[in-house]
Amino acid sequence: MIAQEQKPIEEILGYLDGKRKIVAVGCGGCATFYHTGDKKAVKEMAERLRKEGKEVTEVILPLGVSACEIDMSSKFLEKNRKAIEDADAVLVMSCGDGVQVVCEYIDNKIGVTKPVVPANDALGLVGGGPTKFKETCQSCGQCELGKTAGICPLTSCGKGLMNGPCGGVREDGKCEVDPEKDCAWVKIYERMEKMGELDKFTEMRAPHAWSKAKRPRLFTIEEPVKPVRTILASLPSYLTLLGGPEYEMLMLF
Amino acid sequence: MGDEVYSQLMKELKEGKYVFTGELEPEKAGDVEEPIKAARELVGLVTACNVTDNPQSFAYVSSLAASYKIQQETGMECIYQLRCADRNRNALLSDILGAGVLGLRNILALTGDHVSLGDTPDAKPVYDLDSTTLIALIRKVVDEGKDLAGNEIHNPPKLHVGAAAAPGAAVLKAEIAKVKRKIKVGAEFIQTQVVYYPEVLDRFFKELGKVDIPVLVGIFPAKTYAQADFFDKYVAGVDVPPDYLQNMKATKQIKDKEKRKEEVDRVNIEFFTSFLEHLKDTPAAGCHIMAVGYPRIIPELKKVME
Repeated sequence: MIAQEQKPIEEILGYLDGKRKIVAVGCGGCATFYHTGDKKAVKEMAERLRKEGKEVTEVILPLGVSACEIDMSSKFLEKNRKAIEDADAVLVMSCGDGVQVVCEYIDNKIGVTKPVVPANDALGLVGGGPTKFKETCQSCGQCELGKTAGICPLTSCGKGLMNGPCGGVREDGKCEVDPEKDCAWVKIYERMEKMGELDKFTEMRAPHAWSKAKRPRLFTIEEPVKPVRTILASLPSYLTLLGGPEYEMLMLF
Repeated sequence: MGDEVYSQLMKELKEGKYVFTGELEPEKAGDVEEPIKAARELVGLVTACNVTDNPQSFAYVSSLAASYKIQQETGMECIYQLRCADRNRNALLSDILGAGVLGLRNILALTGDHVSLGDTPDAKPVYDLDSTTLIALIRKVVDEGKDLAGNEIHNPPKLHVGAAAAPGAAVLKAEIAKVKRKIKVGAEFIQTQVVYYPEVLDRFFKELGKVDIPVLVGIFPAKTYAQADFFDKYVAGVDVPPDYLQNMKATKQIKDKEKRKEEVDRVNIEFFTSFLEHLKDTPAAGCHIMAVGYPRIIPELKKVME
């Protein structure tokens, strides 16, 4: 999941300076989990922008409909085609993926070129929950976890070293860069020690191959996943009794 | 690793001579007059001098340029410190080859403090390699005439590569395993981080066990209380004894400059005489004296080791 937080309102207002008609697009994916693009966040943002004298159209994407998955989110953009065509700017309340996918759709499918601006800052691919999340993977394209006791040093080591620890480990086994964080290499050492694999620790791991992280990466799958609503239609009817967002959320897992 | 010796440092270490090395710090300046002046004062006192590479991630004159100028103008052999923090593997290779071209013969391969701890914290940290893979790269260049991708290097440079070790590391067992890893990939000598406590030294050598490469133990006789205090507060893995700190602090009260200098020397000589006497009983092959801007203390300390 992509962690995110809303930008300072001053920055958002700066992007929207001089623009009166705004379309605020939410996101029913990660941004809903982080309360940066759910229904409440979109409504609050719209309210704030109205106080600035702006005319706002809210495009709320229900839970399960991520802004970045255009096959689903486009249905909601199309419903608001007129508002988008008339807008002075589109504010997308998702991660940067969502902003850019929506921007591309508006350019190419709605056929108008508008300022499309971000409301949020994406903070990385994270796992965990329900309230605390940790970035543990950076999607580098060449997973090293098989060599590092299941802990990614490229992400979890403050320096991203393949052969740590560095000399900066603190007394309590924390990182020199941030005393709140564990030294990933001390953790790797401890796991290898428990597993009786310390011989692996003293082996040199080759420098990471960054060639697979050449950006931007493009990716194709042969069989597209069916949109959530199609899946829902094929599910046992008792689940539908749940109704509402909880029902849709259940479908995600 | 071949048996060839390219530098005075390695010659003396291989001969089993007790070796002293010093430390020079290029500054944030358009010249290297200060480290050159310091190097002149150290000629004859130490076999070679480390030239620091952006210590604590503060950007200073390039250690490559400084090492070359110092060596050329003073005859002091340099140990060119090279960090992974600021350069990717291509830039590191360029600098390694450049070092050979400029007549440098020793490199100390370092990971480097994180750039966020420096004076330009928004800089992008690199760490494409780490100290281990940097050592492996240097060995591959020197021994096989190839880079990490296997590309041929015509007329490869003649260089020795050293590694750092932190005897006071908070998690010593992991540090020791890393040091052994660096030895395994071809480090030819070790210079340790500063040590003040004999028991820290003993624990380090005990955990390290017998190794085939020489270990030079780092000491830091502080010229001022502020220097000692800085090490204590900000240098990872280094604890400065409270008594020594207290004695250094007391020197600040002495108004007469000459008398203050004498007292600073006395405090250092007293403290380090005891430490160096202990060092004699360890497997250390030498001593890396990081007395930056404080060359007058070195002859006094060397006397202890004679």
